[in-house]
Amino acid sequence: MRLQLIAVATLALLAGCATPPPPEPGSAASKVVAMGKLKNIVVGAMRVARENGFMTVNAQLSNTSYNNKTFYYRFAWLGPEGFPIGEEETWKSQLMYGEQTSFIQAIAPTPKAVDFRLEIKTP
Amino acid sequence: MFARFSFIAVIALLASGCANTSPTLGSKNISYGDTKAVETVTNEFGSTDLQMIAESMTRSLAQSGILQGRPVVQVYDVKNKTSEYIDTREITTSIKTQLMKSGTARFASDNTQMQSQVDQLKLQNQSGLYKKNTVAKTGNMIAAKYRLEGSISSIVKRSSDYKDVFYKFSLQLIDVESGLAEWMDEKEIRKTTER
Repeated sequence: MRLQLIAVATLALLAGCATPPPPEPGSAASKVVAMGKLKNIVVGAMRVARENGFMTVNAQLSNTSYNNKTFYYRFAWLGPEGFPIGEEETWKSQLMYGEQTSFIQAIAPTPKAVDFRLEIKTP
Repeated sequence: MFARFSFIAVIALLASGCANTSPTLGSKNISYGDTKAVETVTNEFGSTDLQMIAESMTRSLAQSGILQGRPVVQVYDVKNKTSEYIDTREITTSIKTQLMKSGTARFASDNTQMQSQVDQLKLQNQSGLYKKNTVAKTGNMIAAKYRLEGSISSIVKRSSDYKDVFYKFSLQLIDVESGLAEWMDEKEIRKTTER
């Protein structure tokens, strides 16, 4: 009886440690490349459009902490084969106030970009 | 005997750990860094500011739809209205390079390149050194449809605890014939040093 209880408790704990399933392809989460654990910054919805031939992205980000947070981000633009086109972008530093939700916008460097990834790093 | 042997083995292991197996030569104090990293060495105008400005201006202009049919643009030097030394020509060079790579515009010889352009044309046409059918004829240069000019200014504020520098870069695209500004954008950057 005791052994069974221990076995059940162990299974429950291990289930809590299990890795979460990968994000759905095409979802906003699948476009985010988090470099390490994102502390208090949550990526929300993304709007993707094509304006005058250039892909544009608007991504919603939220600071879940009470304190101001600085994070670094950049976009990587992918061609039809799924590989990056053009040079890497420069890293941008963004300050978010406590519990703020804000949007970051980006425009692709060339009309050839068909997909993107948002690289984020929290210090 | 065993102690001596193990001592030699430990020294050999340590020595092999220090051996340089990378294809590098020189001091470990110097290394190549990331050109795209956020640079906050001082709060003067830096590489990240230059890159951010060039990137945001170029993307905004390319995506605006004004540059239909790859028009010819003449780029003028950006006026430096700050109190710092800033090589503003590098900002315009980056903007030109990125616009060229995006395929949205072509550039006429600007004031720095015009002399070389004229010298080359004179050399080809007047020296008598070149085959006539290979010579670039004078009177065929394409005039610019637009001109691109901008300025960068700064506001610096200091207190005992802070030094705050606010940069404002503005750029406009003007139709040469009509004199109308067809596109304008600006980029603001704030850098704060907390003492």
